[in-house]
Amino acid sequence: MRIKHSLFTRRQFLNGLLGGWLGALAVSLLYPVFKFVFPPTREPDQVTLPFSDFKDMKPNTVENFPWGSKPGLIKKNDDGSYTAFVGVCTHLDCNVTYLPEQRKFFCACHDGWYDQDGIHIGGPPPRPLRRLNLSIEGEDLVIKREGVE
Amino acid sequence: MKEQGMKKGFRSWLDERSGLSTIFRFMSEKTVPQHRHSIWYYTGSAILLFFAIQVITGFMLVFYYNPTLEGANQSVARIMTEVPLGWIIRSVHSWCSSFMIALVFIHLLSIWITKAYRKPRELTWMSGVFLLFVSLAFGFTGYLLPWDDLSLSATKVGTDIPRSIPGVGVWVTKLLRGGEDVTGDTLTRFFGFHVSILPVFLLAILAVHVYLIQKQGMSTPLAEEKKGEKMKELPFWPNFVYREMVVWLILTGILFSVAIFFPPSLHKAADLMAPAPEGIRPEWYFLFLFQMLKIFPAKILFINGDTLVVLLMLLGIVAFFFLPLIDNRPEERKGKFITVIAFLFIVYAAAMTVWSLL
Ligand code: FES
Repeated sequence: MRIKHSLFTRRQFLNGLLGGWLGALAVSLLYPVFKFVFPPTREPDQVTLPFSDFKDMKPNTVENFPWGSKPGLIKKNDDGSYTAFVGVCTHLDCNVTYLPEQRKFFCACHDGWYDQDGIHIGGPPPRPLRRLNLSIEGEDLVIKREGVE
Repeated sequence: MKEQGMKKGFRSWLDERSGLSTIFRFMSEKTVPQHRHSIWYYTGSAILLFFAIQVITGFMLVFYYNPTLEGANQSVARIMTEVPLGWIIRSVHSWCSSFMIALVFIHLLSIWITKAYRKPRELTWMSGVFLLFVSLAFGFTGYLLPWDDLSLSATKVGTDIPRSIPGVGVWVTKLLRGGEDVTGDTLTRFFGFHVSILPVFLLAILAVHVYLIQKQGMSTPLAEEKKGEKMKELPFWPNFVYREMVVWLILTGILFSVAIFFPPSLHKAADLMAPAPEGIRPEWYFLFLFQMLKIFPAKILFINGDTLVVLLMLLGIVAFFFLPLIDNRPEERKGKFITVIAFLFIVYAAAMTVWSLL
């Protein structure tokens, strides 16, 4: 049945209404499931480490520290400055290692190579290693995610 | 005499309530065609055999396995060293997964090449492709459970691959990992997939698959069908089943021999902070993909190499799934061409696998 000037019949209207309700019900049930299944991400904004642990590093060496659940790398450069990286390959997420003799980072998963500044130079990695901001504040080494103040 | 009467009485009592005799009658009337390619008919039930072994050994392993960051590697070590005959059970479980997946590949390829998926068996093929992916998912999740350094890296790579699918990819990765990174949560989640989610899926799809096969009967190859003569047939029960049993016995013998002489190793426990060890490698059935990821350069034109691999893979999967619909004129040029592709695919996968081992 259709009222004059109406765009749809009564049947269509009721079906639409019912379908809409069912859809809304489904969404309201699925939303909590969705929320539940994805835990909040855990990457830290900042990590503070005692500088004394890293003061005596030799140039051209790398030390590990936990950056959330990822390995972080602190590298002492030849001029005595420090650089911090996330030690995770930009190809498919394997942990990289630093090879001091070759002055390169290496990823064993698919033979990925980065130079000593973390720039990708060989193999499949598409981007340089992710850098972290590092500053020395008194006794502390403060490492921050890029863009975090 | 009296006993016989009781047996009969019980049977009719049961049948009145369950209607089981319909199934028995169906089974006793079912026949299996006999021709040059009949041997492929045995692959299906052999897969079921291996699956049954997986279920039983899986039940056993779960009594001792501990799916946590601290306990996983140790509990597998305990199964291997302290639990009576634990090493055989784990070895059988590990080898049987390989055997099962190898047979699934053979089963599918034989169907592709003999074109058994042609009308009206398209849905049987599609449910079979689902079963293939569920089996691969079983293999992939199971590989992480011993939680040693090789399995950790393989899982990091494997769960990062979907990330390059535009849009949904990031969510798939997070869903698989239970967060941004592979952590102890990933292990617990993979255990959940392996022992509760995947088995339910597999059994449900398997039921559909087997139902369709019973409904349509065995397919016969095109060439045989064209001959037009009446084909020789073997009664399913008991003749064919007895032959299958011989095959099962032989396969079980091979499986146990391999499992006893070559038990899988267990590396040291995975360390989330340690660099990936040299020589990481997924299970053999992922090697050709692994090699592709390795040789694709970082950038091709303007898209990432790994994104391209993933998109190609997705395209391949979709085409594979809809193969019976694409291959809709099996007797003509197009059909023959698609058979050639099957052989090319075998050569390609074998070559990539060998290359990855060099
Ligand atoms: S994950 Fe590092 S090269 Fe692929």
